[in-house]
Amino acid sequence: MPETPADFRYPLRWRLMDGIEALADRIWPRRLAPWTGWLLITPALLLVGLLVLGLIQIADSSLRTLDTATFLPSEDWSLANFEKALASRVYLTVAWRSLLGAALTTFLTLALAFPYAYALVRTRRPWVRKALLITLFLPFFIGQVVRAYGWLIILGNSGMVNEALSLVGVAPMRLLFNYPAVIFGMVQYMLPFAVLLMVPALAAIPAETETAAGSLGANWLRTTWHVVLPMAKPGLIGAGLVVATLSLTDFAVPAMLGGGSQDFIANAIYDQFFRTADQGLGSALALMLVAAGSVLVGLVFLVFGAGTLSMGGRR
Amino acid sequence: MANDVFRPTRRSLLRGSAAVGAAALFSGLPARRLMAQDAPGKPAELIVRAWGGSWVDALKKGVSDPFTEATGIAIRHDLTEDNEIQPKVWAAVAQGRVPPIHINWDTTVNATKSALRGVTEDLSDLPNLANTTELAKPVGLDGYPIVNTYGYVYVLAYRPEAFPDGAPTSWHALLDPKFKGRIALYNDGIGFHFPAQVAGGGKLEDIPGNMQPAWDFIAKVKEQQPLLGEDPDFTNWFQNGEIDLACTISTNAREAKKNGVDLAWTVPEEGCKFDTDGLWIPKGLPENELYWAKEYINFALTQGAQQVWLDGLGLPGVVPGLTPPEDLVNDPSYPTTPEQIAELIRISTKVQVENESEWFAKFKEIMQG
Amino acid sequence: MISRGQRLTIWSLVWLSIITLSLPTVVVLGASFTAGNMIAFPPEGLSLRWYEKIALARDLRQAFFRSLIVAGVCTLVSIPVGTLAGLALSRFRLRFAGVIQVYLLLPFTIPLIGSGIGLMLVFGQWGVLGSLWPVGVACAVINLPFIVWSVSSSAVLLDPDLELAAQNCGAGRVQTFLYVTLPAVMPGVITGSLLMFILAMNEFLVSLLLTDARIVTLPVQIYNSIRSIITPDLAAVSVVFIVIALAAIWLLDRLVGLEIFLKSK
Repeated sequence: MPETPADFRYPLRWRLMDGIEALADRIWPRRLAPWTGWLLITPALLLVGLLVLGLIQIADSSLRTLDTATFLPSEDWSLANFEKALASRVYLTVAWRSLLGAALTTFLTLALAFPYAYALVRTRRPWVRKALLITLFLPFFIGQVVRAYGWLIILGNSGMVNEALSLVGVAPMRLLFNYPAVIFGMVQYMLPFAVLLMVPALAAIPAETETAAGSLGANWLRTTWHVVLPMAKPGLIGAGLVVATLSLTDFAVPAMLGGGSQDFIANAIYDQFFRTADQGLGSALALMLVAAGSVLVGLVFLVFGAGTLSMGGRR
Repeated sequence: MANDVFRPTRRSLLRGSAAVGAAALFSGLPARRLMAQDAPGKPAELIVRAWGGSWVDALKKGVSDPFTEATGIAIRHDLTEDNEIQPKVWAAVAQGRVPPIHINWDTTVNATKSALRGVTEDLSDLPNLANTTELAKPVGLDGYPIVNTYGYVYVLAYRPEAFPDGAPTSWHALLDPKFKGRIALYNDGIGFHFPAQVAGGGKLEDIPGNMQPAWDFIAKVKEQQPLLGEDPDFTNWFQNGEIDLACTISTNAREAKKNGVDLAWTVPEEGCKFDTDGLWIPKGLPENELYWAKEYINFALTQGAQQVWLDGLGLPGVVPGLTPPEDLVNDPSYPTTPEQIAELIRISTKVQVENESEWFAKFKEIMQG
Repeated sequence: MISRGQRLTIWSLVWLSIITLSLPTVVVLGASFTAGNMIAFPPEGLSLRWYEKIALARDLRQAFFRSLIVAGVCTLVSIPVGTLAGLALSRFRLRFAGVIQVYLLLPFTIPLIGSGIGLMLVFGQWGVLGSLWPVGVACAVINLPFIVWSVSSSAVLLDPDLELAAQNCGAGRVQTFLYVTLPAVMPGVITGSLLMFILAMNEFLVSLLLTDARIVTLPVQIYNSIRSIITPDLAAVSVVFIVIALAAIWLLDRLVGLEIFLKSK
């Protein structure tokens, strides 16, 4: 075994690294290792804490009623806003519409995002992959108002689709400003998010797994159902949760494509804050929506596990 | 060109259309106020909330640019919607911050809510108020927490092609089966509640006590599957042949028409809602900025400023002697005499402010069902 | 190894997605070349007048640069916070992990109006409204789950034995983190930060409540300038936006390769 030459010096990078390691040991000694996870997550907890501070303000105003003689919130607290919201038939309709909308959107988005992400991961041609990626990012750059105008041109009464249909003798029909139009717009809006969140999970499935399943006699549908989908479950759940929560609280798509009669809860909240200046009622509605959304998320975590997030934890 | 001290030169007075306004400012104010040694220091700029598009263009041409010309104070326009600036201003005043705007161009109803809440400065000492009509004074409030600057009408806009026999004469046209799915109202029904009360067989005196006729009529309209939206939606829908009828502010219909959309408007026999917009100043501004914000509003009340500003909007002002724009002479949406205003539906601001949220809720309840 | 039926099914669904995703953009692109006063499709005559108009509009350009700053702040804040949180969730066993996950999804379960109003009140109390960085921080908060999740899904690809192996070879904790863990989750960090940047660039509702006329950002400026009619300059702005984005993506491709989205090292 040759001896280290006397003039050997550690490269600067090593020394630097050793210094950093020593510093790390000083600041965060190894005995604190069980808490490292908490150390890493604290900044995120603090950042989201900003929203919690906001929620506290909102909770405060949800307990105050509006006096339309002075347009000031009441001095004392009461549950009147919550009672009003719960007793209202409109809010019930709107809440049900939002929940159903979120469910439909999630299902349809995942159904479209899965093959898209699959094609993105599995294609062998780099240019196809790039084109698919770029297409995902395109819609972000036209704002909701301009996008809605685009849909009017395409799906309006005298839009492209109806023109095309009239060529084959189908009478023009109203394709926009109804519930299906809202769901459609929502799916289009959510699709890029879902694909991007699903891609890593699919990329983690080796192509050989499918080949193996195929060589054992499974056709591709069975392979997809029994092999790929279960393995992609974390990605599906992650994407599904994001799509579900975002569509549950969305406000722009129902406003733009719903023709005004397809409000979701967020639209009702918008109305209270901005149109009728009743911040108390708006706050109460917002809090109930947060509660509903969080319960939903919690249930999904309980039933399906935490999706992508549980991968490390499960080991 | 910004003069630091107010000293209008002959050249600046003669320069272009702005000169008219500058001259108006000069003659409209007692010289003492502006020349006085104790006039507080000028801020570099004032922020005026305005509606976008042709609305802000008109304000800029008629009021802001001439004001800058005359005083050297730049005007920045904040185009946040009136509804959306409201919580921002209220929060600023409640938290003791300097509000984000100096002057709010607002609907009288919204402005009154702010006045009741106590976030508006008193404007009673504006000298040019002496030369205004009764319309400028807010109804049911002490003094002038807001100054109304013009009136406007929620007309029935229609596509002439769909009405070969001439303009619709009644709001009942909305119920024509032919127009099922081809009519539009504002999201919250604003502008439509009162004509609906008449069209539904009710009396205006019963507002707000008994508005059942209005709700019955609106329920029938709901059967017609109306589209609900905002001004740009209406324009898009008319432009692309989605709708034939809409209840909208005449200014927006006029703007769409000017830009080539096939569109006309009328005041049906039941009447149309007439209301006003105004200007107000939020509390919490530094002393000198408050002073110059008041000067801005004072200037907006001069005949010269009103003439140019309101020509752009196509709306009747609050000072005597204005000439209507050519295309609006004898237009029912441009009432100039008290008699003409009386033919429209005008409900006191107080009643509106106290009941509006309930009306909006009721309208939503019918439309979302 | 891919059967015809599979190829056909997958690609027809993919094409459906491609058309839905890009059709409105294509229409808007076409409409921006109109010579008329209103946005219209097919355009009324061809002209570049609306591009000329936005090229001369100083306020739009200023708003664009402000949006860049906001997006920059948002990305700078969210990269460290999101990466660490993503790693914490995927590579450490935390107690109450379920509760933490529900908590970290608050940005999505709170409607944007609620977040906007809440943040306006909080920042207002702290007296920091009126500068751009709170808007950037706000954008980081409301979109945080995106970067947390894309990092943690990338972490799935990393075999924990690799980290152990590195430490076995004498690597310290920092070294392991820098040379093993971080490169493994890099695709997630890049995807996440790109998404954060783009979303902050286009954020409207919360920015509306946190900006004022002096610091108005591009989406707020665009949305608010619409009153009676949608003028074609807004379509032109979108097109310019897309061109800039394509250029950025091309640059990214040349520098690091778009493949990094999909493959870890």
